[in-house]
Amino acid sequence: MQYFMQLLISGLAIGAIYGLIAMGFAVIYKSTGLVNFAQGEMTMITAYIAWTISTTVSGNVVVVALGAILAAVVLGLIIERVVMRPMLGEPVFATVMVTIGLAVILRSSINFIWDAYPHGLDVGFGRSIVRVGPIGVRTGQIAVIVTLLVLLAAIWAFFRYSKIGVAMRAVAADDRTALLMGISATRVHALAWAASSVIAGIGGVFFALSYDLSPAMFQLGLKAFPATILGGLDAVLGSGVGGLLIGITENLAGGYLGSGMKEVAGFAMIIVVLMIRPFGIFGERDIERV
Amino acid sequence: MRTGDFKQTYGELVTLVDSPPVWLWSAVLVAGLIAAPFVLNSYALSFLMIILITVVGTLGLNILTGYTGLISLGHVGFLVTGAYAYAVLVSKYQMHPLVGFLGAGVVPALASLIVGAPSLRLKGLYLAITTLAFSFIINTVILEARWLTNGARGISVQRPEIFGFSFDSDAAFTYLCLGFAVLTLFATLNIRRSRAGRAFVAIRDNDTAARVMGINLHAYKLFAFVTSAFITGLAGALYGIYLSFVSVEGFPFLLSIEALAILIVGGLGSALGAVLGTILIVLLPEATRFVFSLFSAQIDAVFTTGAQELKSMLYGLVIILFLRFQPRGLVGAWHDIRRMWVNWPLRY
Repeated sequence: MQYFMQLLISGLAIGAIYGLIAMGFAVIYKSTGLVNFAQGEMTMITAYIAWTISTTVSGNVVVVALGAILAAVVLGLIIERVVMRPMLGEPVFATVMVTIGLAVILRSSINFIWDAYPHGLDVGFGRSIVRVGPIGVRTGQIAVIVTLLVLLAAIWAFFRYSKIGVAMRAVAADDRTALLMGISATRVHALAWAASSVIAGIGGVFFALSYDLSPAMFQLGLKAFPATILGGLDAVLGSGVGGLLIGITENLAGGYLGSGMKEVAGFAMIIVVLMIRPFGIFGERDIERV
Repeated sequence: MRTGDFKQTYGELVTLVDSPPVWLWSAVLVAGLIAAPFVLNSYALSFLMIILITVVGTLGLNILTGYTGLISLGHVGFLVTGAYAYAVLVSKYQMHPLVGFLGAGVVPALASLIVGAPSLRLKGLYLAITTLAFSFIINTVILEARWLTNGARGISVQRPEIFGFSFDSDAAFTYLCLGFAVLTLFATLNIRRSRAGRAFVAIRDNDTAARVMGINLHAYKLFAFVTSAFITGLAGALYGIYLSFVSVEGFPFLLSIEALAILIVGGLGSALGAVLGTILIVLLPEATRFVFSLFSAQIDAVFTTGAQELKSMLYGLVIILFLRFQPRGLVGAWHDIRRMWVNWPLRY
């Protein structure tokens, strides 16, 4: 039972990171209709920038957090303006392939800007262990779960009540009508890229806090795919929950069935979900009959 | 004066090539390729081998993504399955190399039935993600099935000897690759102009309309998957022999991206495009390196230390630039040039 609880807690923690990145996928899909294959790479770059800030400027938690968020916003905006906006109106296949090209470029740039060795992000927080009964939990793990829950609530409120949130939902539902209503689609897209970059970037920084930074971190993006498919590509909140489910499944599969299963549990789940319910648990059903 | 290119009978629409000089030039090209191993040094010959092997694999992906419009991010899965099928049959069970090649085609084709099944329900992005998931799962399956595949240790593969003729030397192996490339090229061109090929293109252009016109979507989508996986598996076997060692690390996920980059650069849905794209993409890192080395030795050093990363960056850059400025690829550019040449000085 203790083994099970331990797996469950660490599954929740890694699942919260997947959830954050999956929300990044969903925010972009919801407002632009494309899957951003460079999400994992953007996450990784934000985490590396946070690490650079912590080693060169200051190791203070607040400074690192604000710097990372700012960097993520700038990164998202640059990518949207330079790479994605010229592709506006092109077929989905072309734009998605552009994000794949972008992913490959960002992934290799890590080795040129930083280096190929693993690093630990140390901000004097997150590595100490709290005991809850017989189970040891790292503070970083608690923090990421709390962050996910807070962000879920904040994003729900944002889409429900704020004017920009409503505009984003309008563009997602029908971009032409939204344009006729005077909503600037490009501005909404830019905002979506920035927001997605920040949300996923937070996940990346938490990953670096609990584990290590390395050029293989982009695989987080691949691991978060199952989460967003499970939750529904167009469901931002659903993707967050999907992340938790995938994290738990993966950890339980790894703990009871062997480490090989841990790597593929998520992907096996993708195939099952796509066969049974392609639009995900919380996604909107898109009916088309042939 | 020639005023344009008009087709007057249905027969002309499905001919293999529409002008006789193309046969002549193709024959010259093949003769040149046959002479190449005698002229080229071993370094240049290795590029020729890679190009020929990549052409086989890319033509395989072209049937699925180019003709039928089903995006696959997991073709490296079929490549590695084909390589392992050959290695297990020939190196481990001492079977005849031809049986090995047959296995290298059939095993991925069977695997593609499993991957293809979801494609009957899924389209576009969802299918891309499913195939991506497949390629990761297959790697784990191979690593876990140690009794068959030696797990992470891999299997070493000898160059084959078929009917007393040894393909051990580089020149002979190049001929083997050339044979496979030419056969694959003819096979895909013939598939394209047959009933099946027209059905594929109809599905790509509008699947609802294709269904209405009596094309069995399920059968033809699965057929596209099986053919594509069969050809890709053969390319995997050739690549495994070229590497002389088959392991999961030898077939990184980047190969899937490279194949898609080749199709985009060449021009999606065109066999000529697949060939042109392959030549450009395979030679691009080397060409870039050559150009930069003219300017400074320092950059040359960067190319040596970070070769793999620079290669991937170039692929990414090429994908983005082609999609942005020349979405029809090299074939599109070639058609534009040809039309300009014929119609000059008029615009059209």
